[in-house]
Amino acid sequence: MREAPTLYQRRIVIGAGLCVIAFALVGLRLVHVSLLKSWDGGRARAPIVARADLTDRNGELLARDIPVKDLYARPQYFNDKAEAADSLAEATGADATRLLKAFENARHPYVLIARRVTPDTEARVMHLGLPGLEFEPSAMRYYPDGRTAAQVVGVTDPDGNGISGLELGLQPEIRAAAKAHGRGQVATSIDMRVQFILQHEVAQARKKFSARAAGGIVMDVNSGEVLAMVSLPDFDPNQRGLDHGDSRRNIMAQDVYELGSVFKIFSFTMALDDHTLKSLDEVFPIGQGFRIGKHIIHEAEHMPATLTARDILAQSSNIGTSQIVLRSGGAREHEFLAHMGLLDPVKTELPETARPLYPTVWGDIQTANVGFGQGIAVSPLSFVTAAASVVNGGRRITPTFLKQNGRDRRGQQLIDPQTSLKMRDLLRYVVTDGSGKKADVDGYDVGGKTGSAQVAGPNGRYIPRALRTSFCAVFPVHDPRYVVFVFLDQPHGTKETGGFALAGWTAAPIAGKVIQRIAPLLGVPYKPVPTRLARESPL
Amino acid sequence: MIRVMNFFCVALMGLAILALYHVSERTRVARLELAKVNHEITRQHSDIAVLQTEWQHVAAPSRVQALAEAKLGMSDSASAQLASFDLLPRRGENAPLNNTPLRNANAVLPAGAGRTIAVSAPMAAPPVPGM
Repeated sequence: MREAPTLYQRRIVIGAGLCVIAFALVGLRLVHVSLLKSWDGGRARAPIVARADLTDRNGELLARDIPVKDLYARPQYFNDKAEAADSLAEATGADATRLLKAFENARHPYVLIARRVTPDTEARVMHLGLPGLEFEPSAMRYYPDGRTAAQVVGVTDPDGNGISGLELGLQPEIRAAAKAHGRGQVATSIDMRVQFILQHEVAQARKKFSARAAGGIVMDVNSGEVLAMVSLPDFDPNQRGLDHGDSRRNIMAQDVYELGSVFKIFSFTMALDDHTLKSLDEVFPIGQGFRIGKHIIHEAEHMPATLTARDILAQSSNIGTSQIVLRSGGAREHEFLAHMGLLDPVKTELPETARPLYPTVWGDIQTANVGFGQGIAVSPLSFVTAAASVVNGGRRITPTFLKQNGRDRRGQQLIDPQTSLKMRDLLRYVVTDGSGKKADVDGYDVGGKTGSAQVAGPNGRYIPRALRTSFCAVFPVHDPRYVVFVFLDQPHGTKETGGFALAGWTAAPIAGKVIQRIAPLLGVPYKPVPTRLARESPL
Repeated sequence: MIRVMNFFCVALMGLAILALYHVSERTRVARLELAKVNHEITRQHSDIAVLQTEWQHVAAPSRVQALAEAKLGMSDSASAQLASFDLLPRRGENAPLNNTPLRNANAVLPAGAGRTIAVSAPMAAPPVPGM
């Protein structure tokens, strides 16, 4: 008769049984993982989108992450590392020496061959039939409009971090939108139609007048939205390198310039607001020069012996403007310009900004100089912002590159609304009867001011015959909606301009052409009948 | 009786196991199909995103203008706004009637130094009776 199992034997059997069950479970799990799980296709892999789309105000794409692949290799699987390095270099354009060095380095079990592999390259690599290659899904930032808005949109580095322009300035918004919606959107204030027109006209003018650099800005005077910003030379954001003559510098935001006579807009605004200029028909002596201490102020062009205040702005007289600003004095001029925001860097979503340069001592000669735009250097964006405040009813405006849906963002009252009205009429007069005639566009009541500034050389002295010309236009002047600013750095006169390179010949016509093309697109009403001017009513 | 009951219960359990396996298998297949569809949707979205980007690239104003100048002999010319875009009829809408601002639009275009071109436009086709 069999003896009953002892306690130890029972325990051994139970232990063996548990081991069998455990191994069976492991075996079943292995079968499940290796055979069944691999068949279910796994979860759908979402495309790698680290950054949301950047669009213009109408939803047109400015920048988007598109799916690409990065190619990696495990060199331990290669039979002949040198041959593999040569083949991969030929297929992808990578450096063969770098690849071979990495393949032979035992510390690199996983080597990056090429980033952003296109489908063509992928096919060529697959055709090599090499083992140990892996394509990792990645994303590439692509800018479909290329150079058109390159300076303002900016670029990202290969790891998808913004390094300039709105790509850097709006980085938190772009990342947040991508996180929230997978492929979200951040709508900018840019209007690509306007941007293209401005870029086209400015580029043509830069070529025509052989200017070193050129730029332009279109801004909504009530919302502060920047509809277009152009800075030439520009660059191709879809290439990592720069072509000859290209530049990543946004001269409209990060450079400061003495802008010359366009600054007279602020001198006249101050004089009218302070009532130091009581009538625009007041007559001022002009003569051949205006002495302030040991300095003599001259005119850029021949002027009559006397001019009314209105014509001082229209003909852009330095001597007349000097007399007008000296009535307010240096301290008041400094205070007024600071009040208008011209003595501080302008803050926007763009990371590129510039600190203005202005005199440390604000004596009479400095007051006169600043009055006609010399001796003070501001960024064009800063200038446009202050000019928009002058014409929008006199209220502070903060420029923005984010879409505001036409919201009125005018803030603090900076100048009297009546002063703003008078200034608009004066700017219209400059275009109808003064130096800005070539900017006039039928039906849109353009107002504006020319500016031709001398260029300081490396030793601080002005370079003979070198000018920076600009034109600041506002339209429609009776109910201002947009400021158009055009800037040329050292343009040269042509046969067509009779050799003249002053702003009235170079910058003003561009502003006119831009307005003529963008006004219908922006829905600005066409008014064949000219508007009432303040000069028709007593001041 | 107990044996019959036992047999019945075991049979019921077997059937339940089979049914459960069937449901489980169908669920697995459905999940697999769903994963495939999701995968396809993601791929299609990705392709659409690339196509949209390509479209934006080929339809960029700079490219269109260059092609229009090179292939069609077109060039920049003076333009004037005859009417607002809001006044234009949308597809399927009736054309504007007589005496609307659109039909009576007119403008004077600058056409080079000192010359002007008068444009008076019936901008849309006359209204069709019965429309």
